[in-house]
Amino acid sequence: MVTLDTSSRPVRRAASPTKRQARTAWGLTAPALTLMLLILLVPVAVAGLLSFTNYSLGNSGFDWVGIQNYERLFTRSTYAKMFIATFTYVVTVVPISVGLGLGAALVVNSMGRIGDIYKTIYFLPVMATLLAMAIAWEFMLHPSIGAVNRTLEMGCGTWLETLPFFAKGCADGFPLWLGDRDYAIWVICFIGIWQGFGFNMVLYLAGLTSVHRELYHAAEMDGAKTGWERFRLVTWPALGPTTVFVVTISCIRAFQVFDTIEAFWPQGGGPNKSAYVMMFAIFEKGIQQNLIGIGSAITMLFLVFVMFLTLIQRWLVERKVHYG
Amino acid sequence: MAQLAINNITKTFGDTSVLKGISLDIQDGEFVSLVGPSGCGKSTLLRIIAGLEEPSGGHIMIAGTDVTSTRASDRNLSMVFQSYALYPHLTVAENIAVPLRMRTMNATQRLPLIGRVMPGASDKAKEIAQAVQHAANVLEIDLLLDRKPGQLSGGQRQRVALGRALVREPAAFLLDEPLSNLDAKLRVQTRSEIAELHRRLNATFIYVTHDQVEAMTMSDRIAVMMGGEILQCAPPEVVYDDPDDIRVAEFIGSPKINILPVERTERDLFLFGQRLPLTAKLDAPALLQIGLRPEALRLTKTAPLMTGQVAHCENLGSEIFAQIALDEHTGRVVIKATPEERHKLSLGAKVGLGFAATDALVFGPKGKRLRDIEATACSVSEVA
Ligand SMILES: Nc1ncnc2c1ncn2[C@@H]1O[C@H](COP(=O)(O)OP(=O)(O)OP(=O)(O)O)[C@@H](O)[C@H]1O
Ligand SMILES: [Mg+2]
Repeated sequence: MVTLDTSSRPVRRAASPTKRQARTAWGLTAPALTLMLLILLVPVAVAGLLSFTNYSLGNSGFDWVGIQNYERLFTRSTYAKMFIATFTYVVTVVPISVGLGLGAALVVNSMGRIGDIYKTIYFLPVMATLLAMAIAWEFMLHPSIGAVNRTLEMGCGTWLETLPFFAKGCADGFPLWLGDRDYAIWVICFIGIWQGFGFNMVLYLAGLTSVHRELYHAAEMDGAKTGWERFRLVTWPALGPTTVFVVTISCIRAFQVFDTIEAFWPQGGGPNKSAYVMMFAIFEKGIQQNLIGIGSAITMLFLVFVMFLTLIQRWLVERKVHYG
Repeated sequence: MAQLAINNITKTFGDTSVLKGISLDIQDGEFVSLVGPSGCGKSTLLRIIAGLEEPSGGHIMIAGTDVTSTRASDRNLSMVFQSYALYPHLTVAENIAVPLRMRTMNATQRLPLIGRVMPGASDKAKEIAQAVQHAANVLEIDLLLDRKPGQLSGGQRQRVALGRALVREPAAFLLDEPLSNLDAKLRVQTRSEIAELHRRLNATFIYVTHDQVEAMTMSDRIAVMMGGEILQCAPPEVVYDDPDDIRVAEFIGSPKINILPVERTERDLFLFGQRLPLTAKLDAPALLQIGLRPEALRLTKTAPLMTGQVAHCENLGSEIFAQIALDEHTGRVVIKATPEERHKLSLGAKVGLGFAATDALVFGPKGKRLRDIEATACSVSEVA
């Protein structure tokens, strides 16, 4: 016993500072951990649980319904429309707003002084409230008194009438835009791009400032003659990290589109539910109709998409575009 | 391989004039070093030759054609940048291959994935890989070929930049301080590699450097730049032994040349009241300066021209540099002595100094070299 005691003493001495440090570390992270748990993880877990129930706000109890809510999501035609509208929006808005953002950033960056004016103009829609902007767009897109159709009508009787779109419009009237189920989602996409690309432009402008100017000179000496070759050799690789970030942010923002749809069609998500996007579905089911179970199920699905995108972004940032 | 003519090039940035009329003719296959203090416009001149910067005035001719308005990529020059300018997303091998890919492959062959199956692409890719491997072997970076520039040390990056420039055979090479970040051993080694490459390719080189040893050992001619002008462009030994300007004499040579004031009375020159064995023209200015290289000064006991005390002594083994505080003058002079003379140079010892009249370089008050000074060897016989 005596020998054991002496031999264990140095071990205990060596271990105690490490243990103490570990205890302090846990103590210091505890507030942040608690907050994260309470604010982020608990609500997600609660939503996850609720998605397996038929709970409604105000009810004293609820029943477990198993995967019934999810089953509905993948079988009912309303939700099929929801997925189509959401993915149409994401697949259209993300590439175009990223591309336009990059293009605008390159042009603005090469313009010097005048570029600042364009920078402000393109950034205006980002700063404005989309809800207020939606009202302005609603006026503009009004079928009979809106500025858009009035302008289009001026094209009647000119050479423009040779185009099928104008020929049809002048004969039978121009599209109803927000009231037409073929056009509604595209109008929403257009507004989404118009509103979002300025933000991407600003992110790209920030990315462009980090490109070493001497690299363009090196590319020139190495024989990169066209602007495209220099872009491929220097600019695009240098913007890799920015692009990953911009695409991820744009995707998440596109999945979250809500306010235009709420402003244009407070009841129902567009003609024939053609613009019934996920966020609006969550709002309608979970809040307007008080169907917390199904609302939670859509929310969970939404979280899965966003999580998936974030994971892809992390993976790309760590593997592909990091030039450490 | 081409001759290069720089014709009265000027450059101003806003109000500051950086280059003030530079003219320089460089022969085909010549190795010219540009030396000068920091900020004198060396990089600017190099970038103007490369076509990356537009001159405010003057012309650049390559192989007899005026290229002043030709863009950089069409001038067929290769350049090492002072800041390396490596592509951060490409590996070392890809970095070195870029100029070859850009210039020998067409746009479709360079496409990612599809490019490889284009006709002729695989042969070219093989050639390029060989050239890259060769350049990497020469510069001892063959083990780093798969790394990204971010994972290299400064010296390794510099060698990659050098490799990217040397992998081609352009009309001329422009190197902007390509060895500044290498350690002593690698510097000596790469210096001889570049010199050998120059001999083998017989290509035209313009080489910017701060390092006098590099300039002295590698170049056919050295152009000394200062304040936006070329003060002298001549072979290394001429720049050292026979400088045109006091600033050239002071810039070239380490330790620095000793400058002392001299007075002229009639045709005779006097240093601290002692007559020197030199005769000047009667129209020469009354106040002159002479430059004496440390190795031109000798320790002497008989009839010394100057006397002083040893103030500091640096023993480099094969030679000794001693600073002598002069009795007649506030400044110090540096002399070079042999190890045998060390016993005479203990700190505080009184010494006498002399020099041969032919070794003295006489400059006017503005610093221009006066060449019409004659040595009169007859007068003094103070040889120790
Ligand atoms: N784009 C610029 N705008 C304004 N001044 C400049 C610009 N580029 C260089 N200069 C100025 O021109 C002068 C010469 O610069 P340069 O880079 O040619 O010097 P250098 O001789 O290469 O010096 P170093 O040996 O330190 O590299 C400097 O005084 C610098 O401040
Ligand atoms: Mg420089």
